Amino acid sequence: MTQSTIIFSPSPHMHTGRTTPMAMYHVLIALLPAVACALYFFGLPALGVLVTSVAACVATEWAITRFMLRRPTTVFDGSALLTGVLLALNLPSNLPLWMVAAGAVMAIGIAKMAFGGLGCNIFNPALVGRVFLLISFPVAMTTWPVPLQPDGITGPTILGLEKLDSLDPGQVEISHLLTGDIGGSMGEVSAIALIIGFIYLLATKVIKWHIPVCVVIGLVFVDLCAGWPVLVDILSGGLLLGAIFMATDYVTSPMTTKGMMVYGLAIGVITAVIRRWGAYPEGMSFAILIMNGFTPLINRYMRPSRFSPRRKEVAA
Amino acid sequence: MIKTFSKGGIHPAPNKYADRKIKLLPLPTTAYLPLSQHIGAPAEPVVERGEHVGRGQLIAVNTTYISAGLHAPISGTVKGIEPVALANGKPGMAIIISATDEEHRADTAAREAYWRAIEPGHTDRQLSESLSADVIRKAILDAGIVGLGGATFPAHVKLSTKESDKPELLIINGCECEPYLMCDDALMSHYPARIVEGVELMMKAAGVGRAVIAVEDNKPGAIAALKSHIDPAHDISIQVVKTKYPQGGEKQLVEAITGRRIPSGKLPLSVGAIVNNVATAFAIWQCIASGQPLIERVVTVTGDIPESERRNYMVAIGTPLSNLPFTPPQRANIIVGGPMMGHSAICLDAPITKGTSGLTILDAAPRRQPMACVRCGACVEACPMGLEPYLLSTYGRLHMWDEARSAGVADCMECGSCSWSCPSSRPLLEYIKIAKQRSRK
Amino acid sequence: MQSIFLTLTLLGLLGLIGALVLYVTAKKFHVDEDPRIEAIADMLPGANCGGCGYKGCRDFAGACVAKGSLDGIFCPVSGADGMAKIAAILGVEAVETTRNIAVLKCNGTCAARPVVFEYDGIRSCRIMDSVAVGTRGCSFGCLGCGDCVAVCKFGALSIDTADGLPKVDTEKCTACGSCVAECPRNLIELRPAGPRDRRVWVACSSRDKGAVARKVCANACIGCGKCAKTCPFGAITIADNLAYIDPEVCKTCGKCINACPTGAIHASFTSLCTESTAQK
Repeated sequence: MTQSTIIFSPSPHMHTGRTTPMAMYHVLIALLPAVACALYFFGLPALGVLVTSVAACVATEWAITRFMLRRPTTVFDGSALLTGVLLALNLPSNLPLWMVAAGAVMAIGIAKMAFGGLGCNIFNPALVGRVFLLISFPVAMTTWPVPLQPDGITGPTILGLEKLDSLDPGQVEISHLLTGDIGGSMGEVSAIALIIGFIYLLATKVIKWHIPVCVVIGLVFVDLCAGWPVLVDILSGGLLLGAIFMATDYVTSPMTTKGMMVYGLAIGVITAVIRRWGAYPEGMSFAILIMNGFTPLINRYMRPSRFSPRRKEVAA
Repeated sequence: MIKTFSKGGIHPAPNKYADRKIKLLPLPTTAYLPLSQHIGAPAEPVVERGEHVGRGQLIAVNTTYISAGLHAPISGTVKGIEPVALANGKPGMAIIISATDEEHRADTAAREAYWRAIEPGHTDRQLSESLSADVIRKAILDAGIVGLGGATFPAHVKLSTKESDKPELLIINGCECEPYLMCDDALMSHYPARIVEGVELMMKAAGVGRAVIAVEDNKPGAIAALKSHIDPAHDISIQVVKTKYPQGGEKQLVEAITGRRIPSGKLPLSVGAIVNNVATAFAIWQCIASGQPLIERVVTVTGDIPESERRNYMVAIGTPLSNLPFTPPQRANIIVGGPMMGHSAICLDAPITKGTSGLTILDAAPRRQPMACVRCGACVEACPMGLEPYLLSTYGRLHMWDEARSAGVADCMECGSCSWSCPSSRPLLEYIKIAKQRSRK
Repeated sequence: MQSIFLTLTLLGLLGLIGALVLYVTAKKFHVDEDPRIEAIADMLPGANCGGCGYKGCRDFAGACVAKGSLDGIFCPVSGADGMAKIAAILGVEAVETTRNIAVLKCNGTCAARPVVFEYDGIRSCRIMDSVAVGTRGCSFGCLGCGDCVAVCKFGALSIDTADGLPKVDTEKCTACGSCVAECPRNLIELRPAGPRDRRVWVACSSRDKGAVARKVCANACIGCGKCAKTCPFGAITIADNLAYIDPEVCKTCGKCINACPTGAIHASFTSLCTESTAQK
């Protein structure tokens, strides 16, 4: 008995075993089908964008923790890696690599580390990076390469055409939208790949279904009210990528299921509104960022219901 | 139908692998009896140093209503009434009794005979009918019985109900939702008839017409054993509840059984229920049917120790923890109680008390360093009281007592579901406990 | 030319309207406040430490003015000088007070009190204390996690890496009392700074019996009473196996320091007693 060290610690002495890095890596695994589709459809340039984005994100975080904050590096928790992959999937594959790197530095440096690092940011870093690029380099960001074509051939997205009234939504082949044989950002093109990822995340209990499903419901609601084509709207643009992978980011989404549903519905409605009446053909990024800003408010008002009802404060 | 509570809850690894047989642990030659083994005022000693006491003799009495007496677990001489180190190393006043070899042998023989007599058992269905409620309550008070589930609330207080309370239902807690522990399971499997008789006595004492024994669905043996001993003359039923932590929490259990929620800061009686543990029912049967006061209890010894050592023991209260046979691992976290709500013990000379339900010895791998909160909401989802643990622990860390109070920190029952579920390994419960302590008005 | 003129007129008008609105609101909703409150609040340290017993410095300033005298009101951080200035503002008599300094009533250094158990959890004295007696096995002594250091708003406390105990920087200590309230074991006492900065105190809080205390820590007070016998002024009392020096009675002669067999009595000065007795 004397050779054992006696340890004492506060209760509980058991732990679920799930960790935050583990959740990050689960999301990365769930993104694999989408990454594979991006590489298949857009080829080598896509790989270039992906590698640059990931490398720039990880390097920025490492440099900031090492030289500015002077604290142990947090790059191994997987969140910088995830931001890098998500940012890449939100960009067109022919974007100049220096722009990708600039977006990554913006995402990690300004949107994440300036707020205090993981858990402290208000806005989704990858989306801040994307919107920064979209506003700064609108032409480069909306020139979409055509899938499975040699370099240099570009074309518009379905939503872009719709916006210009040069496409009748009824003509769109839904099967193309499902497989991803369309123009668009690297990760948003294949609906099937994204839905596989969604199922994986649900199965591993990394996310709950509320946000993605409510985003779709919100969008469909506006579409039905205004008489717009529903299926094309759901499957095109970054809606699924955003709903499944970006809106569900732990840090920037509400904590209670009630809050998640409000948040999801609002994202869906705002997206639909921006798509039809806004200046941009694509509204997902802005919708998520807007609702990110409302998350603290949602957390404040969408409290969990207590087991024991709150006693009314009796004025003495 | 399997019932459960509505909010939160977690599913920790059950690890209920200890042997269900109850082995008699040899009596100690020296017993240490802390005067405060229960909730309420400490007991007042009625023996003096050098006095000889017999096994089962009253050695300390309750001086106030919410308190309980103490009985000598062994025959011997009172060596002193002085502070001894308790399991957490802090001193507490205790009566020390030491036995000679002769006394030890006589006690051991008497004890073995006693348990042999119970083993085959005689079923006395008329026991509760032949006694009045006052007689039963007096016997419970005299036997120093407290809630043996862990909270150690004096049993006579719970069972003394007034007409105005309108108690409708007696809930007997046999959930044992705490992982690892099996003492209640062992008791239910071995002495089902005695427990049912104890429940009948409690119903009589409290003036309650209906009783429900709640058992989690991971104990089919105990459920079957209890079911076969229900007497149709009494309105006692077995309710199978879902295996979910903290199913055995008082408020959770009452909600699962009756569907009623106990308001904040109120007792189960406010919704017409009385909750007691199965081990308490057994102890009540013991004191009335066989006259033995609360001097022994079942203790599970389990955890990361060799399989042959994971057992249930009948242990005399006052036995030092080190008398329990186990081989600790290299880095041993010796927990008095279960791993969720139990406390680490550092002093192994400390005695087993009335509230010691088990000893869980864990091979303590170093804990993960806490990471930043990513606001995933796992703690909010896990909290069975519908609180926001991430917020409460922040209030505790930043000394924001007023905010903690209005966020309902007093409702926290310290079950540990939040810390268990936090993927960032944050010390949620630790700071919530501080907030709870310091935000009291 | 005309458009510039128009713009200027419009903007000027807007500005005028805005100014008018602001002026009216300021007049209408003006709250009269005693200017002395502002004057006192400006003098106070502004750390809102709560050492005075009020919610913050402004609250304290309000209390000073409302009460009209400084009886029973004291800002430990400003000290006697600061209180004299406040008294001048209020035009009342300053109340005589002594300066206090925080002292640690534990001397369980790493050498005297070796680590016997390992703690695995968050580093906080209060949390560690709620779990068990601590890594050193002493149920009364310092846990060394530095809750007091964290709560000190003046940077007067720091954990000494050599002996694992908090050290008080007497220059910075303002005797605000935050650390006294924070220590879960009540190990910090505010004692008068004493004549010529001389203080003597018992650096132990163990109420264990002598043998038990000594077993845990070599520097423990064992309650033997030698100091009480030595003290020529009767300033030392023994209660619960622990000596206590009454600062009101103590003349800081330092005789008890050398009488203590375990070295549990500490002083803010080097005792000259032994040297003088040795010379005799």
